[in-house]
Amino acid sequence: MSQPLILGIETSCDETAVGIVRGRTLLANVISSSVEEHARFGGVVPEIASRAHLEAMPSVLEQALREARVSIKDIDAFAVTAGPGLIGALLVGVSSASALSIAMDKPIYGVNHLSAHIAVDALNSDHPLKPTIALLVSGGHSSILQVNDIASDVKVLGSTMDDAAGEAFDKIARLLELGFPGGPAIDREAKQGNKSAIDFPRGLTHPSDQGEHAYNFSFSGLKTAVSRYLQQTPLSARADVAASFQEAVVDVLVTKAIAACKETGIDSLVIAGGVAANSRLREMATERTAKAGIDLRIPTMDLCTDNGAMVAALGSIAVSSGRAPSQVGFAASSSAGLNQIIW
Amino acid sequence: MTTILAIDTSTNRTSVAIVDGEKILFSEFHDDPLAHGEVLPKLVAKALKIESKIDCVAIGMGPGPFTGLRVGIAFAQSFALARGIEWRGVASLDVIAAGITDAEFIATIDARRKEVFWAKYVDGVRQGDIEVISPLSLPADIPIHNNLSPDPVILARLCQGDANVTEAIYIRRPDAHPAPKGITFRPMTAMDLVTVHALEKASYADDPWSLAQFKEELAGKDRMYLVAEKDKKVIGFAGVMHRGDTCDVLTLTVDSTLRRQGIGREMLRRLIDWSRNKKVPAMMLEVRAGNDEATPLYTSFGFVAISKRPNYYGPGVTAIVMRKELTT
Ligand SMILES: [Zn+2]
Repeated sequence: MSQPLILGIETSCDETAVGIVRGRTLLANVISSSVEEHARFGGVVPEIASRAHLEAMPSVLEQALREARVSIKDIDAFAVTAGPGLIGALLVGVSSASALSIAMDKPIYGVNHLSAHIAVDALNSDHPLKPTIALLVSGGHSSILQVNDIASDVKVLGSTMDDAAGEAFDKIARLLELGFPGGPAIDREAKQGNKSAIDFPRGLTHPSDQGEHAYNFSFSGLKTAVSRYLQQTPLSARADVAASFQEAVVDVLVTKAIAACKETGIDSLVIAGGVAANSRLREMATERTAKAGIDLRIPTMDLCTDNGAMVAALGSIAVSSGRAPSQVGFAASSSAGLNQIIW
Repeated sequence: MTTILAIDTSTNRTSVAIVDGEKILFSEFHDDPLAHGEVLPKLVAKALKIESKIDCVAIGMGPGPFTGLRVGIAFAQSFALARGIEWRGVASLDVIAAGITDAEFIATIDARRKEVFWAKYVDGVRQGDIEVISPLSLPADIPIHNNLSPDPVILARLCQGDANVTEAIYIRRPDAHPAPKGITFRPMTAMDLVTVHALEKASYADDPWSLAQFKEELAGKDRMYLVAEKDKKVIGFAGVMHRGDTCDVLTLTVDSTLRRQGIGREMLRRLIDWSRNKKVPAMMLEVRAGNDEATPLYTSFGFVAISKRPNYYGPGVTAIVMRKELTT
């Protein structure tokens, strides 16, 4: 089996997603999102997400097979996000994938969602799988990872002490009445504003935060500062607030990611997760990595947000590197850490 | 003959059978309310070792506790899709009822939160829809069958009948509350104080805060006050204070003509968000004993009554002290 055909399922949050890859070639990436249903509630409601996964799963599976022009009989192995994520949501994906594996008598790989976000970088490129620093930023996660081997050795260098970066965007968008999800809304509003108008605080960047908090994030102080600013300056231009807030978040993210590259001597940076869509983050990361001689990689947008292709990609790497498949009936884990990459 | 794989996860029990006409080729179950996801693949893999050629999948569609229920449905539907065979759904409560021989009876399935899903059956036929109810409110004059689990062999038989349930039977709606329409929320400013004070006097005629108290509060440290606005008019306000090991809700007030629309809920949610960021282990608040509008709101957010303070709101008016843990 030189180029394994892998079907990957992702249901850890609000996207029901199935991807199919052959080796490192992307064949299909189908995503059904319940984000519009959640918009009415200002955030993801686990029970609504789980119901949506169950309803969407059969048609998403069928569409992915159609797009990839393969039959389910041809699939060599199945992969599925086994954690971390919302437990009720994860269980829909894990149960579906287990059924496919048992029905077709093919192996299954439960994989770690965070690792999969980075593994997606392997698709559609002959870029060698080399050690990299990864900045993973979305509504659910904000971390800096040191990826020595994507399927077996990923270390967390730092993560958020309070809100995820995407959550901070959601909350500030709510304060500014820009709607949910907040990331795209703030990005849009910020384009009309002056990013240097207000000097908002950069959390955990004080010299005394080096050491323990060198790669950790904190966005709650920034959120309070924005809230206080709006309180004291009720007539301020929303676009300036959005642009200045965004600048503060992006500045911290990029500064810390580059510092991690320098300290570890790893001259490669992957940015993944939904916040990688942010245009200012892309711009600043491109400028500063170029200056620092770091190879920057940002997967295309549909591969940055939660998707099935990333799960299939990690499954494919696991198969190629000879990893043993997961046991029948392995348990999904909502709080899985990176010590568990393949179940 | 038709070989049927039957799967039900609507109760604490995960059960699997393979039935071929009158022949039961496999029937096993495992009781564990939290392990449907792990048990089901193992049972099915074991069953397929006995007979791997399946023509149809029968699925117990609930009602039942949601997470376990979905494990069975997701598994069964994906199995059918992979094999290119048909699946047929049956109400799990009907499967339970089909195993009971009384002429007239009530069957129930645990719905958690001290409620049950139930229906009445006469001569084996369900009377009306399945509903959710407190077991204390069930009719008392008919035999009630609790704590039974669907037999997958009966499920396999029933799936060949006319009733084909195509969607999970939830009955309960998700615990989700839409943000109130047309209402905006923002931090309170000094400009709001006069309106806020008027609303305070209208709401707490016997013991309102004074305007000076509001001024002092708004200027105070470690506090967050916010207002709800409709058509540019302040119609509610709330405040929270960080004090040592807890964050205390200081006030939560909504115009009496605009209550029960989720405005208080949204403000409380924001106070909780703010408190979480203070990294305190808990939040506290006081509510007037007998305030039947506010207490259920606090309870729904996980506030629990921990003590009473007699005469707190004036002679004879007791305050209930409530606490919510933020560590979970
Ligand atoms: Zn993700």
